[in-house]
Amino acid sequence: MAETLQNLALGFSIALSPVILWYAFVGCVVGTLVGVLPGVGPLAGISLLLPATFGLDATRAIVMLAGIYYGAMYGGSTTSILMRIPGEAASVMTCIDGYAMARKGRAGAALAIAAVGSYVAGTASVVALMLLAPPLASFALRFGPPEYFALLLLGLFVLAYMSSGSMLKALAMAALGLLLGMIGIDQMTGYFRFAYGVVELGDGIGVVPVAVGLFGLAEILATAGLAVPPQVIKPALRELLPTRQEWRESAAPIGRGTVLGFLIGIVPGSAHIISSFVSYAVERKLAKRPQEFGQGAVAGVAGPESANNAATSGAFVPMLALGVPSGPIPAVMLAAMMVHGVSPGPLLIKQQPELFWGFIASMYVGNVVLLILNLPLVGVFVNLLRVPYAILYPSVLAFCILGVYAVNGSVVDVWIMLLMGGLGYLLRKLDFETAPIVLGVVLAPMLEMALRQSLAMSDGQYSIFVARPISATLLGVGLILITLGLQPLVTRGLDWRARLAVAEKGDEHP
Amino acid sequence: MLTTDRVAGGALVLLALVVFWESRRLPLGSLRNPGPAYMPVALAAVLLCFGALLVVLAGKAPALSTVSWTEWRHAVAIFGVCAFAALALERLGFRTTIALSLAFLLLGVERRGLVFSAVFAIAFAAVAFLLFDTFLRVPLPRGPFGI
Amino acid sequence: MRLSRVCARAVLATVAVASAQEPYPSRPITMVAPFPPGGIADLTARPVAAAMEKVLKNPVGVLNKTGAAGAVGMQFVATSKPDGYTLLLALSSISIIPEADKLFGRPPAFTVDQFAPIALISADPTILVVPADKPWKTAAEFVEDAKRRPGQISYSSSGVYGTLHMAMELLSHAAGIKLRHVPYAGGGPALTAVLGGHVDALASGPAVVLPHIKAGKLRALAGWGDKRVVALPEVPTFKELGFPDAEFYIWAGVFAPKGTPEPVLAKLRDTLRAAVNDPDFKGAMEKIETPIVFKQGAEFARFFEADAGRLAEGVRKVGRIETK
Repeated sequence: MAETLQNLALGFSIALSPVILWYAFVGCVVGTLVGVLPGVGPLAGISLLLPATFGLDATRAIVMLAGIYYGAMYGGSTTSILMRIPGEAASVMTCIDGYAMARKGRAGAALAIAAVGSYVAGTASVVALMLLAPPLASFALRFGPPEYFALLLLGLFVLAYMSSGSMLKALAMAALGLLLGMIGIDQMTGYFRFAYGVVELGDGIGVVPVAVGLFGLAEILATAGLAVPPQVIKPALRELLPTRQEWRESAAPIGRGTVLGFLIGIVPGSAHIISSFVSYAVERKLAKRPQEFGQGAVAGVAGPESANNAATSGAFVPMLALGVPSGPIPAVMLAAMMVHGVSPGPLLIKQQPELFWGFIASMYVGNVVLLILNLPLVGVFVNLLRVPYAILYPSVLAFCILGVYAVNGSVVDVWIMLLMGGLGYLLRKLDFETAPIVLGVVLAPMLEMALRQSLAMSDGQYSIFVARPISATLLGVGLILITLGLQPLVTRGLDWRARLAVAEKGDEHP
Repeated sequence: MLTTDRVAGGALVLLALVVFWESRRLPLGSLRNPGPAYMPVALAAVLLCFGALLVVLAGKAPALSTVSWTEWRHAVAIFGVCAFAALALERLGFRTTIALSLAFLLLGVERRGLVFSAVFAIAFAAVAFLLFDTFLRVPLPRGPFGI
Repeated sequence: MRLSRVCARAVLATVAVASAQEPYPSRPITMVAPFPPGGIADLTARPVAAAMEKVLKNPVGVLNKTGAAGAVGMQFVATSKPDGYTLLLALSSISIIPEADKLFGRPPAFTVDQFAPIALISADPTILVVPADKPWKTAAEFVEDAKRRPGQISYSSSGVYGTLHMAMELLSHAAGIKLRHVPYAGGGPALTAVLGGHVDALASGPAVVLPHIKAGKLRALAGWGDKRVVALPEVPTFKELGFPDAEFYIWAGVFAPKGTPEPVLAKLRDTLRAAVNDPDFKGAMEKIETPIVFKQGAEFARFFEADAGRLAEGVRKVGRIETK
């Protein structure tokens, strides 16, 4: 412990040096800018700005990239809350309750809770990273294809708890999303599926155009032409920060989101979006008044935002402790290290303590910097809502096109966004939820790959899923969740969700 | 009676059938060794069930005629602008495309003044380009004459 | 009507003459890296571009056009104007992708003869690594065991028909063994799989596995190269062990679209020759542990043809993965 504190002191002495502070700050600002852009999330941000760091030395480059990463996560929630357009794929859940809060005039509160939740989650998970990196990383490595499959299946079951309306409709949308995720090259055999000769579809339709299209473009299509523009109650200055009640309501979700997000984040290959979906579902299940979800529940913003940020730090665990790229973002950071002559690997912590501890310390610093940056900016951002909608939505549309194009430099993505926007518009009219589609698009390729890899590993034996302890446990948990979810249906005939849906419909059509 | 659920359910059933048709050329494989068609076919079967259930159980859904489409003109215009942007983005370049799109939306659809729309559109496109292409080095397409 | 046509022709002719006399290069050059930033192709492309910029005193920018294991970027360059302002930094997969397309009977995204090869920059032989806790200490033991238990030893790869898959396939055919292939979605996940012990082996480029070998987590058994890997002098090559057909390199080379005028190509060749001798470039390549192997002109063409032939043959032998 003493050694850890000593190392941390070393790290802080590096991180708090003016030069490094400056690079962290620049990274955070740039990251926030990039994150605010619809669809452009941390991966796109880091990839795009990686070349700009080539001239710097290793520590500065890594610190700046980490700043961009965090900044993008913070910035992503801003557009989600203010305009229901996901700043990045993982912010999709924040769009739902965050925007509802904004409509009620609690935009400032939502932004503040998102910022604070992200800060708490980020800091707490950095502490966990610092203290637990090596043992956690070894645990994470034990996740192979069968464990993935079980984990992702669990993620799918979680969908059953997410729907506010008819479960059948939500499941249908999930199936649709899963099907959409099947487009692309089949990694196991090399066949092109449903790509119709468009080479760009080889990697699938991508979650960013889908999320921005289904939420952002669909939102614009549905509201731009309304005779009465959407009424966003503009809050007075003192109403900008959350009330004591709201803070109380957000405390537990932030805690739960942090733990959940961190655990999901350390598993190599899991996507951040899963952590925010799972957190939303958990909060909904545990809430005293679940019907608030979708109408502006504080927990619906606090939980997913914290989970997101915690997953970010969690993703660094395998990268730093073992030199294993646990996802595309850590892979880019690893490459950045390699370019600067730092060879990542299990010995990184021992051989390059200044880099590791400087990195950890700069993550603390980055979180603080972002909190300081974002809280005052809440007022500025909320003022954006005062812009007349007729001018706001064309600008937002332009940003959506810019963001979606920038991720891959491909016009095909813009077309996908367009088509998904049209689809989202129709689905809204027909009263279907669109969030399960996004989850399906993310999960489908991973789920299928994990299944077929597991079968390839075991030469076709399905017993591999129960023979391995971790996957057996996860599957067991999933089975319990499903039985619990279906049990009320069986015992009482109408469970509370359906009862509420019926009651709500009754309110709408008296 | 044509309810929203019936229409949606029917569309999903149709989609599932299309997926079945399109997957016929891909090898199905077996339960022990699933091929590229396996999961799509399985998912399409699930979707078919859901769609059929929606059609059958559509009692409580509102009738299709009650859905309001009042904003459809705007929606079509915005959709059209997006399509234009997708087509023009790499041919005319980012700045020209965005400026034209914004100008069309502001002037043609929202009926703001000519001067205001033109100035806003050009300024927006120029600043966005400056910020992201020049400053942040996010490559954005340039059109003829490097605009 | 006739007058305007004559005018138009005159203008076009002037422009053509003018641009033909324009010294090359007079505009920024774009080097397309068909892989995401941070990948090996990208890490090689950037120092190359920077060194070329120094030599040509003209901006050379890197454009990442990703997708479909590189097919998107490669197709982009194959169909762009052959004026020397769009170049491609391709990996050995350039020969694999069209073959795979042929195998599946679909119109190829591009063909190898849509490119004019300029120079080879690096050629890393792949090496065979296994988790350190596996019993095989030499490649011979590995092959022995594989012969005894056909289809039981598993290996990961970056994707079906990818470079890491083809390397193993070449070995399997050369040694007459049957291994179990578990494809992953890229080199990173493939490495994670072997580190976690979920598969028994991996054919990988040396740079990414070197730190793990040094840390004792992985063991290198043999290499697919003509010579031993410089950083691992005690690891034999498959050629030495009696499997001369198991030769595979993950190489990176610069290409231009076919039809680029010969003077432009000559200038590019000279530029690259000067670029690889640039000390900054050498330093950058050393940092990513990739030795520079420079071939150009006829030498590169020979290397490319031989490699392409080997890979095409390999893809055909693998055939379509039949799911029975």
